[in-house]
Amino acid sequence: MTHLGSLSLYLALVITAYAIFTSLWGVLRRQEAWIASATQGVYAVWGCVVVASIALLHALLTEDFNVEYVAGYSSSTLPIQYKFAAFWGGQKGSLLFWTLILVCFTAIVHFQNRDKNRELMPYVTATLMTISFFFLGMLCFITPPFERLAFTPAEGSDLNPLLQNYWMTIHPPALYLGFISAAIPFAFAIAALATGKLGDVWIRTTRRWALTSWFFLSMGNLLGARWAYEVLGWGGYWAWDPVENAAIMPWFTATAYLHSVMIQEKKNMLKVWNMVLVILTFALTIFGTFLTRSGVISSVHSFTQSGLGPYFMAFLLLTLIVSLGLLFYRLPDLKSENELDSIVSRESAFLLNNLVLIGLAFATFWGTIFPILSEWVRGIKITVGPPFFNQVNGPLGVLLLFLTGVGPIIAWRRASLKSLRRNFIVPLSCGLLAGVLFFVFGYRDYYAVTVFSLAGFVLGTIFSEFYRGTRARQAMLHETPPQAFSKLVGKNPRRYGGYVVHIGVVLICIGVAGSSFFKIEKQITVEKGQTFEVGRYSLEYTGITDTGDDHYTAQIARINVFVDGEQIDTVFPEKRFYIKQEQPTTEVSIRPTLLEDLYVVLGSYDVPSGLATFQVFVNPLLSWIWIGGIVLIFGTCITMAPNPAERYELALARSSQMIDGESVAD
Amino acid sequence: MPTKPLFLILFVFCATIGATPLPSQTELEESLTCQCGCGLTVHNCNHLQCGFAIPRKNEIAQFLDEGKGREEILSSFVSNYGEKILSAPTTTGFNLVAWITPFLVVFAGAVLIGVMSMRWTKRESQKRAAGPNVPAVPDKYRDRLKKELANFDS
Repeated sequence: MTHLGSLSLYLALVITAYAIFTSLWGVLRRQEAWIASATQGVYAVWGCVVVASIALLHALLTEDFNVEYVAGYSSSTLPIQYKFAAFWGGQKGSLLFWTLILVCFTAIVHFQNRDKNRELMPYVTATLMTISFFFLGMLCFITPPFERLAFTPAEGSDLNPLLQNYWMTIHPPALYLGFISAAIPFAFAIAALATGKLGDVWIRTTRRWALTSWFFLSMGNLLGARWAYEVLGWGGYWAWDPVENAAIMPWFTATAYLHSVMIQEKKNMLKVWNMVLVILTFALTIFGTFLTRSGVISSVHSFTQSGLGPYFMAFLLLTLIVSLGLLFYRLPDLKSENELDSIVSRESAFLLNNLVLIGLAFATFWGTIFPILSEWVRGIKITVGPPFFNQVNGPLGVLLLFLTGVGPIIAWRRASLKSLRRNFIVPLSCGLLAGVLFFVFGYRDYYAVTVFSLAGFVLGTIFSEFYRGTRARQAMLHETPPQAFSKLVGKNPRRYGGYVVHIGVVLICIGVAGSSFFKIEKQITVEKGQTFEVGRYSLEYTGITDTGDDHYTAQIARINVFVDGEQIDTVFPEKRFYIKQEQPTTEVSIRPTLLEDLYVVLGSYDVPSGLATFQVFVNPLLSWIWIGGIVLIFGTCITMAPNPAERYELALARSSQMIDGESVAD
Repeated sequence: MPTKPLFLILFVFCATIGATPLPSQTELEESLTCQCGCGLTVHNCNHLQCGFAIPRKNEIAQFLDEGKGREEILSSFVSNYGEKILSAPTTTGFNLVAWITPFLVVFAGAVLIGVMSMRWTKRESQKRAAGPNVPAVPDKYRDRLKKELANFDS
């Protein structure tokens, strides 16, 4: 089976090269047959990579330890779900997984556009196949996943215990989906630049792909935060680690793009800027992969130094040179009649939003690469850690939250003083009220209160938007409130879904502010039967139970939780020792509520003395981060809902592009 | 363009970064990066028996008991372990570039957006002043529109 997998990868590489050549040759010679053949090549590549992936999964599931990758990342006692997760748990497998997603997306795009975008598609094929070619080249010649050992070990080394967690089975796929789907808008942007079809068609065609990418990037980051929170046992969820930074940077640029593209659609402005954002987002996904795999920056997430760094750097440079070269070549055609009716308008608010988002992306990039820069310039290695990012990104984040509230209540084109006064009064009151309420309830930190007030301001903005829209429909169309509300959202899912996404983001901000500024923590060593206090909780340690199987041994502590003398729960923090990896891990016990999380870590247990050391955190409002994530999913689903108006606009853009094309031909 | 006050704010911000007169144990632990490989600060190191973080926490407590200030304590760690032990760049020399650059970039972007917006607004107002570039509406349609609007209002 592994021979078949290996053969499939070589075959896929050859067909990819064929598809690149035939798609471009077909355009050059204006011969549909070549282009059609390239499309068939895309499906063939998909088939080959699927076969290779099945072969690797088969090797993992059947414990074929003669395969070096299986021996390195699996074992006979590894639970089956983690045998699946081992697919992307190591360098080689994750590259194959990446390629699998890429070719799946490529096939979907070709199927979606089988009768559409005839002029763009050959270039889309060539671009996506070039990316696939790079990854397949890595898999065939640099990091072959089916490499065999000279002998067959009796047992595998097992998957890293830190990766043996439920969230790890879904966090990397989510992030990969986000990273790789950014390639689709990029491919269409390249196609638009290559063909000169720079109208709205490519933007409208890829709107859902851009949203998909943004959605999975959001999910990938949130699930990663959840994994860190549950597994790493330090009471936090985000440490501004270089690899975390690599994942958040494309999220910033993708968010900027989703906002600025609205200005292009409405006012035909910012064409160059939107191209730059699409290129930047894709380039940052490759940069992130480079960071993880090159070993240039030490990170708990990174794969071991593999020698892949120079290849990724070369590919990144090639991507930037080709795409920015094309952009430069098309600059005269991209010049739009940029006009603003007024400085005080939603367009301006969006421009500022883009500035802050790009500022955040840049600050994160800068902080991530500064250690390298410092080593070059001064010869001294330094660390750029959480204090830097919190101090630099914190104020920018607060500014962004403010703009999130301002954007929806400023009118497009021009906002009058009267309308500003009318639209701001409710949100400002909500903001003030939120700040006062949080202050009264004991959340007294000026930075945090600012965030809570702004959160109230944004929520006030959004709810007044929903309220006014519903009232307007009721007044004009005599609908009942539920009817008016559902039709309001149904008629414009993009706008109102976007508002729901904003609610999710606000909830996440509340969770971040609450858990960052008001965290309580305590480390204590106690003996059996002893009680200790943390925040409003009294915790009684009642003993340790030894358990385990042939995969790991575990010590599970039992702690009764009391509030005001009444027992409300029992928590079971755990310490495991994974036999094959000879590595201890902590299994945190979390008692989440809407108000706060009680987070208990069993640090150590000394058998002779019977003393156990615990680290306990009380993280206020932290659950709102995950609730915000769920709201964000819901909002994104609304924005992606089928919308007849959108289909009409796309058809209009296509016909206008067709007319333009014909007039040029004439 | 009133750039002086903005530069002043930027300068004050950069000058005050990290300038806290009364350091706390937690703050100092957050200022140091654990060298055990966890990638976290000494305060957050997730190895409860960490061979690096725990001795450093004790040293910090001892320094604070001796009444030492933030800079003195951090300098002592830097002299022992090098600058990489600090969890954020210092605010002197080349390291200042790390702190200033992101704000300068945002500031430059804001200036650029301001200039472009003003130019675009000016272009729009010039266009509006030049009058609408549409063919005149025939009188019969104008009369009909007036009549229909009058009926609509009533």
